[in-house]
Amino acid sequence: MSEPPVTTKSVSQVNDELLSSLRPPTLGWYLLAFFLGAVVACGLAAFTWQMMNGMYVTGKNRPVMWGFYITGFVFWVGLSHSGTMVSSILRLSRAHWRRPILRAAEAMTVFCITVAGLFPLIHLGRNWTFFYMIPYPNQRGLWPNFRSPLLWDMTAITAYIIGSTLFLYLGLLPDLAVVRDRTTGWRHKVYAVLAMGWRGSAREWSIYHKASTLMAALIIPVAVSVHSIVAWDFAVTVVPGWHSTIFPPYFVIGAILSGVAAVITLMIIIRKIFRLEEYLTPLHFDNMGKLLLVISLLWTYAYFVEVHITWYAHEPIEWEVFSFLSSNYTPQLLIMLVGNSLLPIIFLCFRKMRRSIGVMLMVSLWVNVAMFIERFLIIVPTLSHKNMPFAWGTYSPSLVETLVNLAALAGFALLFTLFAKFFPIVALSDVRELELREAKVPMGRARLSSIAGKE
Amino acid sequence: MKRRTFLQLGGMTVASAFLAGCQGQNEKLIPYLIPPDEGVTPGKATYYASSCSGCPAGCGILVRVSEGRAKKIEGNPRHPVNRGRLCARGQAALQELYHPDRIQQPLRRSGPRGSGKFQKISWSEALDLLSDTLKELQQEPNTGSLALLTPQLTGSLATLTGVFMRSFGSTHHLAYELLAPDWLRLANRYSFGQPDLPFYDLAETRYLLSFGADFVENHLSPVQYGNAFGRMRQGRDTVRGHFTYIGGRMSLTGASADRWMPAKPGSEGVLALGLARLILAGSLHDKAALSNSGIRPEELLARLRNYDLQRVADATGLAKNSIVEVAREFATTRPSLAMAGESVAFQSNGLEAVRAIQLLNTLVGNLNRPGGVYPASADPSTGALLRKESSFSELLALIASMRAGKIKAALIKGNPVHTVPPVTGFQEALDTVPFIVSFATVLDDTALQAELILPDHAALESWGDVVPLAGSRTMVYGTMQPVVTPLYDTRQFADVLLATASRLGGPLAAALPEESFVEYLKFSQAQRFSSEKEEDLELLWVELLSGGGHFAPDQAPEKHYRWASSAVIADPPTPAFAGEANKFPLHLQVYPSTAFHDGRGAVLPWLQQLPDPMSTVVWGSWIEINPKTASSLGISQGDLVEVTSPRSSLRLPAVVYPGIRPDMVAIPLGQGHHGGGRYAKDRGVNPLTLLSLLNGKEQLAAWNATRVRVTRISKKGDLVSAGHPEGSYRGDLIGI
Amino acid sequence: MEKLTSPYKWGMVIDLDRCTGCGACVVACQAENNVGICEKQEIAEGRNMHWLRIERFWVGEYPDVRVRFLPVMCQHCQDAPCEPVCPVYASYHNPDGLNGQVYNRCVGTRYCGNNCPYAVRVFNFYPHEWPKPLDNQLSPDITVRARGVMEKCSFCIQRIRRAKEESSAEGRTIQDGEIQPACAQTCPAEAMTFGNLADPASRAARLARSPRRFHLLEHLGTHPSVVYLKGGGREHV
Ligand SMILES: Nc1nc2c(c(=O)[nH]1)N[C@H]1C(S)=C(S)[C@@H](COP(=O)(O)OP(=O)(O)OC[C@H]3O[C@@H](n4cnc5c(=O)[nH]c(N)nc54)[C@H](O)[C@@H]3O)O[C@H]1N2
Ligand SMILES: Nc1nc2c(c(=O)[nH]1)N[C@H]1C(S)=C(S)[C@@H](COP(=O)(O)OP(=O)(O)OC[C@H]3O[C@@H](n4cnc5c(=O)[nH]c(N)nc54)[C@H](O)[C@@H]3O)O[C@H]1N2
Ligand code: SF4
Ligand code: SF4
Ligand code: SF4
Ligand code: SF4
Ligand code: SF4
Repeated sequence: MSEPPVTTKSVSQVNDELLSSLRPPTLGWYLLAFFLGAVVACGLAAFTWQMMNGMYVTGKNRPVMWGFYITGFVFWVGLSHSGTMVSSILRLSRAHWRRPILRAAEAMTVFCITVAGLFPLIHLGRNWTFFYMIPYPNQRGLWPNFRSPLLWDMTAITAYIIGSTLFLYLGLLPDLAVVRDRTTGWRHKVYAVLAMGWRGSAREWSIYHKASTLMAALIIPVAVSVHSIVAWDFAVTVVPGWHSTIFPPYFVIGAILSGVAAVITLMIIIRKIFRLEEYLTPLHFDNMGKLLLVISLLWTYAYFVEVHITWYAHEPIEWEVFSFLSSNYTPQLLIMLVGNSLLPIIFLCFRKMRRSIGVMLMVSLWVNVAMFIERFLIIVPTLSHKNMPFAWGTYSPSLVETLVNLAALAGFALLFTLFAKFFPIVALSDVRELELREAKVPMGRARLSSIAGKE
Repeated sequence: MKRRTFLQLGGMTVASAFLAGCQGQNEKLIPYLIPPDEGVTPGKATYYASSCSGCPAGCGILVRVSEGRAKKIEGNPRHPVNRGRLCARGQAALQELYHPDRIQQPLRRSGPRGSGKFQKISWSEALDLLSDTLKELQQEPNTGSLALLTPQLTGSLATLTGVFMRSFGSTHHLAYELLAPDWLRLANRYSFGQPDLPFYDLAETRYLLSFGADFVENHLSPVQYGNAFGRMRQGRDTVRGHFTYIGGRMSLTGASADRWMPAKPGSEGVLALGLARLILAGSLHDKAALSNSGIRPEELLARLRNYDLQRVADATGLAKNSIVEVAREFATTRPSLAMAGESVAFQSNGLEAVRAIQLLNTLVGNLNRPGGVYPASADPSTGALLRKESSFSELLALIASMRAGKIKAALIKGNPVHTVPPVTGFQEALDTVPFIVSFATVLDDTALQAELILPDHAALESWGDVVPLAGSRTMVYGTMQPVVTPLYDTRQFADVLLATASRLGGPLAAALPEESFVEYLKFSQAQRFSSEKEEDLELLWVELLSGGGHFAPDQAPEKHYRWASSAVIADPPTPAFAGEANKFPLHLQVYPSTAFHDGRGAVLPWLQQLPDPMSTVVWGSWIEINPKTASSLGISQGDLVEVTSPRSSLRLPAVVYPGIRPDMVAIPLGQGHHGGGRYAKDRGVNPLTLLSLLNGKEQLAAWNATRVRVTRISKKGDLVSAGHPEGSYRGDLIGI
Repeated sequence: MEKLTSPYKWGMVIDLDRCTGCGACVVACQAENNVGICEKQEIAEGRNMHWLRIERFWVGEYPDVRVRFLPVMCQHCQDAPCEPVCPVYASYHNPDGLNGQVYNRCVGTRYCGNNCPYAVRVFNFYPHEWPKPLDNQLSPDITVRARGVMEKCSFCIQRIRRAKEESSAEGRTIQDGEIQPACAQTCPAEAMTFGNLADPASRAARLARSPRRFHLLEHLGTHPSVVYLKGGGREHV
């Protein structure tokens, strides 16, 4: 923490800057929201079309019964690990540089997991019967099957949506109070309700800190479990290429990799749009870059282990699947390897690169494209070449599936855009707390830290 | 009512007597003429016995009927030909009944020929039109201007059509089918002095040598032989029959062989004689059998001196050691059996080759022996009439008459416009016939040319009797009865002939006084089984219908094969082919499709959807090419290729087929209909259009003697196959 | 293996030495079970609905080439991978050891389809239609499946049901050979034998003890109820 942000701004100035995003929307904002809304509408139309006609409007078949939807699902679940992990780990490890990016990361988690949760419903052959999977008492005594990983998924994702929403809300509480105090009219009323009467008393702060720490500690196992469970969707099957014990850690690592990369992308976008150059400094990118580097190394190791074991065991069908993948999906495989390990490892070793916004943007975007491809490669080539060679097949996504996936991206962006308009996107109180903490107050002739002791 | 009750009880007794033995107690077989008392019983299925008309094999069927609708066709377990089993075509026959494009009432052409424009007319108008036209023909000095074209019919319908034409005064009754085994009858006449088709005792043989006899898919009686094949392999405790298949293309039958010998097309006869020479030279022949046949081994050996191993190996392109092995195995593993099939017969030297193969059976004593070959039971009443030995020459004669303008009207049952190779000139000749009547059930290629369409009942709505082609040694006589009320305003072909006869009056009406075909059937049953008492006849009739026919218990067959002429075995001439080898380097084999036979199955969606067993292709045509040839022509699986013969050319997708000689290509028959309803129309190609005409001896047509060249057109062959192209070679992954 | 709660454990023995690959069983199954008619496009997309397929493998190269046929339907695994993954118990195990499929319950996750190692589960991607009057052929004993649900070979459970009702009405157990699924019934070569594997004297059980026996993908431990008998080739003469 060598270079704490040095501020000479007044409190109200800081508040003004950090809350600038809440000002009445500009034409640009409207255009963006409209554009995103339009893409979402296209996706909705595509989904409706699918529901009216049947799953044949997708590219799925036998044996490739899962495709772009489940790719999207795993991808978005992965992204959702960004916020919570970054935020909780850094919170627990008391990394001060985390403060300006916490809010965005946490919000991202909530929206990603929400988007992710939609995919399993979208991909159902009979979406309208989704509720059969919910354990509700009924006259027929019918109960869902808790041996099915899909039930575990549902449970874990529901828990994660609730947990991460609470986590976000908790962090938001003091800031909502600030906004409440600076608004009038109906907005004031809304924020007043949301702020739940926060006054900022010492007791409130002390409880708040305890709760945040507790929440951060609790959400980590949930997050890890979510992606482990998603990995189990694959690992508990007998599908060659899926049935692998390394899948849970491998998936979690992959999730964090994509999550961290997504946070970096988001930081760059927010920094640019809301002109937060002073709050999101090269220091932040440097640190995030280090994090990404470490995780990329871990991912590389996990991937190597997986492939190496397949190669070493040389179980005929497993090896067949891998050979098929590497020979028929070579470009995708290369993009994945470059994006997930080569690029981050080469670039992020250098401090200069980590501090270059352009490089960071390029790396983080590539990581995410690569992670989407990784999910795709796990699902599609594997299913194409299952145990029965006579029934092998191929898959390419249809327009409907592509539109729905694009709409997911747009939907996420739209939710974020709306959130940023209505809630402080930079954690105001956190940033100010740090300033306060680091500020030197005159004590006689000496200048001492305003708050003694640790956080 | 009393009599009716009696009949009911009679029928039930017969039905339950054998049902107890074979089907469990759950089914109630009843004849259609005794409906359940209160009409249908909801939820309760009834079974009607009838016969399959999917091909001439004439298998027995039971149709499950529920709520007045036919639901499922099953094999009749009591029927000696198929023993309760059915082939894919037999299973699919239900869809003929409920085909969405069935013709629902008589049609008269309203646009130009072939335009497919018809107007609906009533039966009385239609019959008036038909009888008026025929009356006019009768006024003419030469009443021979009426032609009747049918498949090779059996039973009462064969007699009826024969009587009709005779009484009308016309000799132009053509019973032609592309795949009819005329060639086998003819060869038998030469070899054994009698035309009876063979019954092969496949189940009991220990060594089967098939020269292109594709008994699993089409040859003679596929279900009978499919069943016998299973028993040959695993039906005996200690013996597993061995199977060697000879033919340039590995057919579905060939795929089950232990050994495949891809002999050059047209060389099978030389191979057979070469094997005979090796057997004689090694003294492995059956001496008693030979002397029985009046053949002197030394003479025959001398006669065969030209068929030395080197020459045979050169002619056939086979390895010498495998020829020697097969000769030894065939002669020493007794009983053994040699069969000849269409791909051999349809060469320019087909007749001689088939006879050479028959000689092999004679040589090692396979005639009239368990595990060997017997004459099959034949239908004595119709055998001479419609079971031809050279219907092809009759076809050519009819075409000549048509061309000469001698034919003024043609009544056509069947679809010859699709199944007669165009090189014969049949289609153009038919154009000159002013009045064509079709009895089609869907608007097929022939019906499209017709002036008048008098839609026949579907088989499951029809009465009839069937004598199976060659699936049994003992007499089998199958019956057909309607299993549901006819769906539409259609009439049975035979009923139309009877109605026309009565309208025409004169000798015709006198010869065919029956009002309906059912009556005619009953009458011919009476004659056939020579019962006298009226009551007995009725009972017999009910018994026949409820049991599905008359199946004579196993009895010693009276007929035997005996080699007719001692030393005489003709040398198969060098095979001739249409098209010069340098311009047309590949031999074309057209073969009957497993699912469609000669094309009649193509109208049924279940059969279109059924993956071809060998290529796994669905809903289309393809050409099979050896992988080496394909790669030398730059062709890969699914590419669109153009096949050019000296006569014409076709475009269709390629299938890379490891089981075919590199100098051969093969196309299945059955597709390429211009009509035939929504499922068949404009689907695939009809390879018959490629064929050139080459006659063998006795005008046996050589349908497998055309050469072609193949060129790649594009990647877009529109080929859909059920099996994954690469996965089809990876049986190792599942230990298969 | 779990304990059987029924005197029956239905099984099928398929003798590959008898099977000629003729495809009669495929059509029989389609006719018996209201299996949808699939147009060319549908099959091109890999969505054929057949419950039973004849796999055809080429082995070797010309001229030493061989063909092996393998009829594959649901293997009715005792430890069926398709069952635990189904979130709603639409794929379930019945007391006779059959793998059942409740069409009305299926929500269409297709998870079972992924996890069935034999790739025999087919999904109704399309709504299937029987243009009139083809619908008359539909069997009243079997549901016509809606789009969006999974289906597969049931061992012709309607025939088993019928036999059960009849035998229990008569106060007896089902006799050997009393039930024949449509495929086994029509097979010209008698390659398929269906019966009660829990009865050691049944024909199927006796055949299943043949030294030629093997299970498909035996190493996966699914314990299928379909037993194959090795066939084909000189090695078995
Ligand atoms: N025209 C006409 N109307 C009638 C009748 C009639 O004879 N004719 N009969 C009447 C009678 S007697 C009755 S009982 C009713 C029956 O009417 P419904 O109660 O509507 O019965 P079903 O049509 O069987 O529909 C049951 C639905 O439940 C769904 N389902 C299956 N499993 C589950 C599950 O686990 N949970 C949930 N929530 N749903 C599930 C199925 O997909 C199906 O859509 O119809 C009445 N209406
Ligand atoms: N395949 C299938 N089977 C089912 C069901 C299903 O959804 N599908 N549903 C099940 C259910 S929930 C039910 S309730 C049952 C219903 O089964 P049923 O009780 O058999 O019902 P319905 O088919 O309506 O038949 C009732 C009969 O009563 C006659 N009826 C009508 N009005 C009167 C009257 O005033 N007096 C008399 N005496 N008769 C009359 C009708 O004509 C008809 O024949 O079916 C069950 N079976
Ligand atoms: S062999 Fe011929 S008669 Fe027998 S079931 Fe097949 S089509 Fe019908
Ligand atoms: S019907 Fe019998 S012989 Fe024909 S493919 Fe099926 S199992 Fe094999
Ligand atoms: S074969 Fe497939 S569908 Fe059948 S029980 Fe086994 S896993 Fe389930
Ligand atoms: S597709 Fe249907 S049967 Fe299969 S797992 Fe999903 S809900 Fe269960
Ligand atoms: S047992 Fe019945 S459902 Fe299964 S494949 Fe055979 S016919 Fe089809």
